[in-house]
Amino acid sequence: MTILSSVSRVLARFMYVVAGIALTACVFLTVCDVLLRLFKHPIIGTYELVGLLGAVVVGFSLPETSRLNGHVFMHFLTDRLSDSVKGVLRVLTRILAIGMFLIIAWNLMLMGHDFQVTGETTATLQLPFFPVCYGIAVCCFVECLVLFVEIFKKGETQS
Amino acid sequence: MSLFVIGISVIGLLFVFFLAGLEIGVAMGLAGFIGFSAAVGVEPALNLVAKDIYSVFSSYGFTVIPLFVLMGQVGSSGGVARKLYDATYKFIGHIPGGLALGTVGAATAFKAICGSAPATAATFATIAVPEMDRYNYDRKLSCGTVATVGTLGIIIPPSVVLIIYGILTETSIGKLFLAGIIPGLIVAVSFLLTIVVWCAYNPKLGPKGEKSTWKERIASLPPLLWVFIIFAVVVGGLMQGFFTPTEAGSVGTFAVIILTLMQKEMSVARYIQAVAGTLRIACMVLILIAGATILGHFFAVTRTPYVVAEWLTHLNVDRSVIILLIIAIYLIGGSFIEHLAFLILATPIFLPVVLKLGYDPVWFGVIVGVVTMIGVILPPLGINVFVVSGVTGEPAARVYRGAYRYLIGLSICLLILIYFPEISLWLPNQFIK
Repeated sequence: MTILSSVSRVLARFMYVVAGIALTACVFLTVCDVLLRLFKHPIIGTYELVGLLGAVVVGFSLPETSRLNGHVFMHFLTDRLSDSVKGVLRVLTRILAIGMFLIIAWNLMLMGHDFQVTGETTATLQLPFFPVCYGIAVCCFVECLVLFVEIFKKGETQS
Repeated sequence: MSLFVIGISVIGLLFVFFLAGLEIGVAMGLAGFIGFSAAVGVEPALNLVAKDIYSVFSSYGFTVIPLFVLMGQVGSSGGVARKLYDATYKFIGHIPGGLALGTVGAATAFKAICGSAPATAATFATIAVPEMDRYNYDRKLSCGTVATVGTLGIIIPPSVVLIIYGILTETSIGKLFLAGIIPGLIVAVSFLLTIVVWCAYNPKLGPKGEKSTWKERIASLPPLLWVFIIFAVVVGGLMQGFFTPTEAGSVGTFAVIILTLMQKEMSVARYIQAVAGTLRIACMVLILIAGATILGHFFAVTRTPYVVAEWLTHLNVDRSVIILLIIAIYLIGGSFIEHLAFLILATPIFLPVVLKLGYDPVWFGVIVGVVTMIGVILPPLGINVFVVSGVTGEPAARVYRGAYRYLIGLSICLLILIYFPEISLWLPNQFIK
């Protein structure tokens, strides 16, 4: 479990760094486009690039946000339950979340495959959609790993 | 099983997921997926989930959220809030409750570049509370003030809540920003009045601070001026159609980076800290939106929002009663589910009702914003109260006791805004046709 925990941490942090770089790129690309537009030389395809970078920003920050407990939960009822019931609910909800992200990841892989086969690209820059689609799918798989590790991590803390 | 029965069952399932402690965004997505599978079929539901996630994540429109959050985070990390606080404090710090009044003034100015309520509360809890401690301010006043002023950013542009509302309801973000200015200032005045009355009633709560010289006061003004210029460029550019909201967020972020670099307040470490904070907030919000999008598609198939709209509009009562009922649902729902999550969940359900009753969606955005302001300081889920409690080490119950005083003014403002929609709509109607 320690190895799995380390692997998930390293992967999540690496993805977080990639997301941060993408966010910074988004800012500077858009500002350059706005400035160059003043001189009638906008950066062609900024709209498409920013959309794709946005997908990297959100998708790649997903596992680390989960690891840092950054999502919104409703603690209203669970806080009033006994530790054992809380533990059972935690395992059940982690399993449900893993199931959901597996469904998303697998179907994004299929969607990416469709994009790759049909050769779908953005309208202006002709950038293929499939790498970003596969990228988000990989993030969802890493998210599953983070959630899986969480089941045991919490169990360890409790014992 | 009829579609309506499936719709109701899925709402029940959704609340079971919430109560069990599943992430709210995931719960909405999963409930939507299960419902869509039952209503349409498993294969289309699988396709829907992947398509919705991809389209939300890669949408150009949604990139506005991380960019405006980053603008505020850079401002927080780069010490802009501290400089604004210094300026307001120099002008009114010497009157009873002056440091608390200064906090309201500085937070109102800081909101011009920061759209996140908890981020503002955390920033001012770090800056203003120690200063008020120095002058023996009662912690009920100092912590309650800081928790409450953090909410100003919910309606003063550039507000992340209004941006999300605009995207969800396809309402012009420029109009929403303009609509939030006057109500935001009215609410800020209500906070100032609350402090004045509270301190007049019990002067020991907020003793006088040091009096600054006019030279010191004038020397503290440039940061205020810079923030005003950045605000004018961002909101003005957006309003004039020169920027898209995403571009406005980027230009604003870039301007704040330059400002903090010029003031030698920005470093690589601080920038990384700002980006890390932004990613966490942006991911949290977009997972909520992605989940709500899946659930929304399920609701569209079952026509649940339209059934609710039909039912509510056929009630034999005045339309303002229905609006008050909707507001009560937002307040109660937002007290148990995180306010932003509830807004994302409830708005697509209630918007058809609001439109059918003949209300303006821009006005409703402001009303939802003020309701959210109340929600973030109401128990049991007043997130701002917990943020301030965490930063200052003061028990949440004591922070709540301080924050309650502001609820009177906030509630009066809400009623004024409900019954006088022109207050919210005057500015957008003047500038955007």
